[in-house]
Amino acid sequence: MINRNTSPNLVPPTKINIPDAVFSTLKNNAPMLIINSGTQEVIKIDLIFEAGSTYSSHPIIATGCNRLIEEGSGQYSSAEISEMLDQYGAYFITESGNDFATISLYTTGKFIHQTLPVLKTILTEPTFSQEEIDTYSMQGKQRLAVNMNKVDFLARRNFLNALYGDNHPLGIITEVSDFDKLNKESLLKFYDKNYRNKLRAVVVAGKLSTVQEEEIKQLINGLNFQYSNANYETNIDTLNPKNLYISKKDSVQAAIRIGKKMFNRKHEDYFDFTILNTILGGYFGSRLMSNIREDKGFTYGIGSGLATDINDGYFFISTEVGASVLNEALKEIYFELERLQNDLVPDEELSLVKNYLFGSFQRSIDGVFALSERHKTLHLNNLTKDHYLEYIERLKNISSEDIRRCAQKHLVKNTLCEVVAGP
Amino acid sequence: MIQFEKFELANGLKVIVHEDNSTPLVAMNILYKVGARDEDPEKTGFAHLFEHLMFGGSINIPSYDEPLQKAGGENNAFTNNDFTNYYLTIPASNLETGFWLESDRMLSLAFTEKSLEVQRNVVIEEFRQRYLNQPYGDAWLKLRPLAYKVHPYQWATIGKEISHIEDATLEDVKDFFKKWYAPNNAILTIAGNCSVEKAKELCEKWFIPIPAVKLIDRNLPQEPKQTEMRRLEVRNDVPSNQIYLAFHSCSRYNKDFYATDLLSDVLSRGKSSRLYQQLVKEKKLFTDIGAYMLGDLDESLLLIEGKISDGVNPKEAEDAIFELIEELKNGITEKELEKIKNKAYSTVLFSEMSIANKALNLAYYEMLGDADLANQQEYIYNAISSADIINIAKEILVKENCSVLTYLSNKHD
Repeated sequence: MINRNTSPNLVPPTKINIPDAVFSTLKNNAPMLIINSGTQEVIKIDLIFEAGSTYSSHPIIATGCNRLIEEGSGQYSSAEISEMLDQYGAYFITESGNDFATISLYTTGKFIHQTLPVLKTILTEPTFSQEEIDTYSMQGKQRLAVNMNKVDFLARRNFLNALYGDNHPLGIITEVSDFDKLNKESLLKFYDKNYRNKLRAVVVAGKLSTVQEEEIKQLINGLNFQYSNANYETNIDTLNPKNLYISKKDSVQAAIRIGKKMFNRKHEDYFDFTILNTILGGYFGSRLMSNIREDKGFTYGIGSGLATDINDGYFFISTEVGASVLNEALKEIYFELERLQNDLVPDEELSLVKNYLFGSFQRSIDGVFALSERHKTLHLNNLTKDHYLEYIERLKNISSEDIRRCAQKHLVKNTLCEVVAGP
Repeated sequence: MIQFEKFELANGLKVIVHEDNSTPLVAMNILYKVGARDEDPEKTGFAHLFEHLMFGGSINIPSYDEPLQKAGGENNAFTNNDFTNYYLTIPASNLETGFWLESDRMLSLAFTEKSLEVQRNVVIEEFRQRYLNQPYGDAWLKLRPLAYKVHPYQWATIGKEISHIEDATLEDVKDFFKKWYAPNNAILTIAGNCSVEKAKELCEKWFIPIPAVKLIDRNLPQEPKQTEMRRLEVRNDVPSNQIYLAFHSCSRYNKDFYATDLLSDVLSRGKSSRLYQQLVKEKKLFTDIGAYMLGDLDESLLLIEGKISDGVNPKEAEDAIFELIEELKNGITEKELEKIKNKAYSTVLFSEMSIANKALNLAYYEMLGDADLANQQEYIYNAISSADIINIAKEILVKENCSVLTYLSNKHD
């Protein structure tokens, strides 16, 4: 008979192998990272620009420019651009964050030769025609109107505003009228300044032949974009923590956001806080999940996280709970925050979390695209692989006392903002 | 191309192994062939509620998640109308813990009142969060009973109504388990850093002792052919109007599935597709519009759903869709056909980027009859002709085969 009552022997995590990216320098001095592995004939090319919201007068300009860049260029209409890519099963994903904007081409090895020229045209000669701007604005306005009916959206945007204020791109609240800021002139100006002149890095991932690598390199060298790696400073207003209630009548759930301004991955407490956050609300077995979902059944899900930028970051707890149990749920959240400051995390729980995070890190580098995301994060933060190796080391050494100290330093209730959107 | 080996245990459990030693991880996927279509019409939402209970402790192990996390693993699950799927990834050195956990909950659950009570509440909050507290969130709850009059696809996986979940008893839970959760109703895939020999050894140790059950014939009521257009108009507190058109189409098992899937691609795959270009970009009647096949195991639906531009009459928007459909029946170009086939090819490749996805793909195609179908998709799609697609369009994209839900804003008139 096999013993079903106890777990098979566990092999504790030892070391981790992070496959390297191959670095080279482009003609304009911009770095190019190549992660050449994988089993499927697919290729992803990311061009990363210093063109996030930080660099625009209003985030809508940065986002709009990023989205509209593929909607027509040179002699091609938006329809023709889509047609040329769809024809080969390829697609663009464009992303715009606080620091960076990214244009990514997803294509197959079979058709990379046919799809690279499309990437070139959208990057070098976007049109930003009024017609496309109008379509984009109409879609954006409608989406905003729908979002205004979601408690989660209302809580999030008011929470970020409470943290960052009206002058920081993360804190700015976009209104319908802001779409009027989008016009050919404002977009072209932003594109010239921040895309043509601020290429930060190129990341290529997938299963590549030498010929394909060379072809990509040639294409990017031919763009004649300027390289930039600026160390900008952000001026952030100092705001006092506050509590807000946003009323959305008839909603059957209330959305909660609790948190504060925090730090980025270069801060001395970053690793400790990451581990502390996991215990609090960073995985399925976390204290918030165990208490508020798995014990009380107040919610479908609750979690916490640390969102980081190049210069700073913020901590948040997020959930949607039944409207009738809002106060009880809030009470339990603060109870869990205090417990971490008062009591030591039991050894059993800490060792579980360490093992979980170790496995989690392995998962985060599984597959060539996932691995390339890790290398991208390191590179954009001007960090090396040592950053992750130090993290793994800290994971092994951190004690319950360290966790409690970190909680006492960062999770004190009167430093936190609380935003609720509900009935 | 995913290489694999397949074997079956004496108790009927089908096992598929895909070895890939480039990763330090192993993905373990178990698919149970039971879904919302197998529910009692008075006790809907049960397959999904049951999925939640699968994490509430098994016969010999009080907690599922804790030992898994301790072993560095992570897991999740989903339920749809046809099947319920559980998957985990774990460092290869601790794979046996995955076998221990998955086999114990296949053997039997702990069935505690506490777990049932909590998960009832969690699922009710899920119902509220995803279906009731979102604009248009209940559209599917209204569309399904419009399109299906007798077949169980008339209810969504979450269930018809909250009271069905509130009323679930421990007896119901036990019965459901006994009926469906057995080795001969499941497919197990192991993908990643694990050899076939090792997988066999672990299967024999942990899964062989679990007895098979006698599976009952489903015998689900088949949906009679729809003969006239059905309409439902909903008015609600939403900012803009939306429209949903549901056309009956074939089952995933039917060879016509592939032509029907390509038909939905001609309509809406990518921004160069007909619906998007003509109705969003040129005529500006919609701000977004899409079409897709549900691909259910029984006779299924092809959906067209669009967000109508503010100020546009919903009837005018709907007419434009039907006009476009009629035009499509005149034929599609060779270039269009090549485009959607290339798209089908790249979609398969992009869906196989992680071992967890490979494991799921293999289990899914094994459920359809043969795991190797995962590797044949490209060729099957390539064999479809324009005529095949047009014939399907003529057969199913007709008004008498269509259910229309117009979801209107209170603000508009």
